Amino acid sequence: MIHIDQYAYANRLRAVHPGEKLAFAAITAGICLASPSLIGQLAILMTMAAATVAIVGIPWRFYLKLMLVPAAFLLAGIVTVAVSFSSQPDPGLHGIDLWGFAVGIRDRDFVVASSLVARSLGTVSCLYFLSLSTPMVEIIGVLKRCRVPAVLVELMTIIYRFIFVLMETTRQIHTAQVSRLGYHSLSASYRDLGQLTSCLFHRSMLKSQMLFVTLSSRCYSGEIRVLEPRRRLSLRRGLLIGGIDAVLLAVALATRGWQRW
Amino acid sequence: MVGPILEVVDVHFAYPDGTQALAGMSLTIERGSKVVFLGPNGAGKTTLFLQLNGILRPSQGVVRFDGNDLRYDRRSLMELRKNVGIVFQDPDSQIFSASVLQDISFGPFNLGMSEEEVRGRVQGALAAVGIESIADRPTHFLSLGQKKRVAIAGVLAMEPQVIIFDEPTSSLDPKTAKQLLILLDDISRDGKTVVISTHDVDIAYSWADRVYVLESGRVADAGTPQEIFLDEAMLERVDLTQPWIVDVWRELRDNGYLPPNALLPRTKSALLALIRSRLCHSFRITDLVSERAAINERG
Ligand SMILES: Nc1ncnc2c1ncn2[C@@H]1O[C@H](COP(=O)(O)OP(=O)(O)OP(=O)(O)O)[C@@H](O)[C@H]1O
Ligand SMILES: [Mg+2]
Repeated sequence: MIHIDQYAYANRLRAVHPGEKLAFAAITAGICLASPSLIGQLAILMTMAAATVAIVGIPWRFYLKLMLVPAAFLLAGIVTVAVSFSSQPDPGLHGIDLWGFAVGIRDRDFVVASSLVARSLGTVSCLYFLSLSTPMVEIIGVLKRCRVPAVLVELMTIIYRFIFVLMETTRQIHTAQVSRLGYHSLSASYRDLGQLTSCLFHRSMLKSQMLFVTLSSRCYSGEIRVLEPRRRLSLRRGLLIGGIDAVLLAVALATRGWQRW
Repeated sequence: MVGPILEVVDVHFAYPDGTQALAGMSLTIERGSKVVFLGPNGAGKTTLFLQLNGILRPSQGVVRFDGNDLRYDRRSLMELRKNVGIVFQDPDSQIFSASVLQDISFGPFNLGMSEEEVRGRVQGALAAVGIESIADRPTHFLSLGQKKRVAIAGVLAMEPQVIIFDEPTSSLDPKTAKQLLILLDDISRDGKTVVISTHDVDIAYSWADRVYVLESGRVADAGTPQEIFLDEAMLERVDLTQPWIVDVWRELRDNGYLPPNALLPRTKSALLALIRSRLCHSFRITDLVSERAAINERG
């Protein structure tokens, strides 16, 4: 989380208008979700990964590690989709025989599962492109200009900021506990974790009250207005984005029929 | 323009849980002065500051700004807060945005300025606290000293007449604390009234025009730094130590190294200058030693 944020503030696309990056990520993710073809999804995954590593300038090792996070969840998910059991011998099931049960994968399920994986990773790659290239504050700024309700925008601003305050507070409480032999056994761990949680909750309440006081002292009157950074939209980049997405869409449509074995 | 800018007259205040935080506090803050509030934990410094800014309201007594009693309707409060800014002790509870620029621009926008004016104010504030170079960094990656500066810039950008700092130097390293005091002096030189609370008697002694000592929600003593820190009985009573400059000066005077009427210096350099000037006029320890040797030799 912290690292993602650091890259968001220091990458090669930092000076690019956030609207362009958001549009690129959102449109591509849309194509990926709607794409009827596995090849199309893989093409998106490859394009986005390449863009993130080569253009945004994220080290590929770090990028791979990030990709492993959703991959782990996916693995657990697709096993249930792909693997089937059968009590009778089933010629359609490629697999092994286990105490009279046939355990294996059907062709159709394999297609579904692989398309699920490709679709998820493809969409995640779009999300990563955005979050590794654009600070949250700027994304929120674009949403604001897109007429997202002010309440939501303000909430996002404050929540985002306080995620970090909360993490820091958690770290402090945890250190305080560990330095006094907290978490030394399983039962102690349960108890200490409970205390950490309740302490965190309490402090968060205090912090939110305090925030209201501090905002009020700066003449807060129910609306948060702030400066947005000035960034220029570039026609050239806009055309590039349009071109790439058009190609990706064309690939997705052209390869539509390929995966029916 | 002299005269009081803020007055607190017999203010009482209790928190909802019943804690009597202010119990008949009265004081006056002169326009353009540098005021320090001292006092043990729980003496009521923070509570007093929240009163001065209209966040809390006295249950009895009045607070005056510019000679007028505070009123607590929205418009009057806005007007007050435009003129009296507070920099809170914990910058993390004051900085609400992940962007330095956005946080600083919040106050000026609330004053109803145009975007161009706000940009000007923000640039000015950034320059005043010397953090132009970090304007583009996210607030959660800043050091504590930098965050304090961002918080200060956020208040400075509103250009209030009075700026209150709640424990500005606490948990700062000595160098950062020193830079901060220089910044406070700069702000004061701009004609602003600067009010701080601190537990550091050395800072209070060297920096303030006027010192208030609070204790249990009341003013225990008030005066110039010299008056306050020569009152040993009072200091003892409220558990304050003496600034080292006063300690050294007293020691030298009481042992005859300084004349009884020597003036109490305010700063370290003034004290050193005083000592040096005395050394020129009096004997030196080395003279004493050689005289002694001569006596011994004679038997
Ligand atoms: N939100 C609150 N609710 C209830 N009691 C409070 C609250 N804030 C402060 N108090 C109490 O009011 C009294 C005065 O507190 P205050 O914070 O003004 O002291 P202080 O001089 O700022 O102390 P410190 O040096 O610790 O900051 C204390 O007894 C404190 O416990
Ligand atoms: Mg306090």
